[in-house]
Amino acid sequence: MASALSDSRVSAEHIPVKLVIAGPFGVGKTTIVSALSEIKPLNTEEVLTQAGTLVDDLTGVSDKTTTTTAIDFGRLTLPGAVLYLFGAPGQTRFQVLWDELVRGALGVLVLADTRRIDESFAVLDLVENAGIRYAVAVNHFPDSPDYPLESVRKALDLDPRTPLMVCDARDPASARASLIALVEHVRELVLS
Amino acid sequence: MAAARLTVPEHIDVERTTLVYIAPDAATNGLDPPGSHLLALLQDGPLSVYECAAHLGLPYCVVRLLVAGLVGGGTLLTRNPPVATSLPDIEILELVLSGLRAL
Repeated sequence: MASALSDSRVSAEHIPVKLVIAGPFGVGKTTIVSALSEIKPLNTEEVLTQAGTLVDDLTGVSDKTTTTTAIDFGRLTLPGAVLYLFGAPGQTRFQVLWDELVRGALGVLVLADTRRIDESFAVLDLVENAGIRYAVAVNHFPDSPDYPLESVRKALDLDPRTPLMVCDARDPASARASLIALVEHVRELVLS
Repeated sequence: MAAARLTVPEHIDVERTTLVYIAPDAATNGLDPPGSHLLALLQDGPLSVYECAAHLGLPYCVVRLLVAGLVGGGTLLTRNPPVATSLPDIEILELVLSGLRAL
């Protein structure tokens, strides 16, 4: 679905920076990309194939099993840099797409839902396997149980240094605070 | 669209977040319809390949090749995200942090 073209443009001097927001279906990826993006988020379909031969599958050959998955895409222009946000499902069957998305990304913000904490394990596995830096934000829903963050950390088996916070994916300030925590964490890793 | 011919370079240095813009001295006529649609889209300034794909209503992997072909022909220029190394550049991190904090 294409949005209006009347959006602002970046300049060629902006450094493109990629950030991935990952989490299971229904965790709030679309919501947080909308809260952060300066453009109407683009919802695109990515074609997935077993072999990852993305190009071959679009030449009209229909005898291959293909599936698509929705990606939320947003943009946030900062002085000198433009952040591109990809909201992607973190499931192992999307491994090929996942590898492409995280390649060169600054980091991954993992969104978790304490009502369905077990669904975050697959996402965390992908992130860990990719060796990409990440932070975890618990998207708080009205009926989310109030677990202390330390027990969430234990349940997710997170490293003590991995940032873990509660956020409201609908709130731009809260969403930005999660991104800042992620980027601060990456900076600490680079400086250490 | 079906008749569009894509000249695909062997090495494609274009990905989703590659910024694409029109080369200052580019010849912009005589392109296939997808190519001219892409150029019309870029008249207002640079866009990422992913945004181009969404606006054109074409799959990313098709637009990636389209862009690569037009880059090879000198019509388009690109700016790629920093090369994926083990750790990001500290200057970029500071740039992003100060930008986010100032919002």
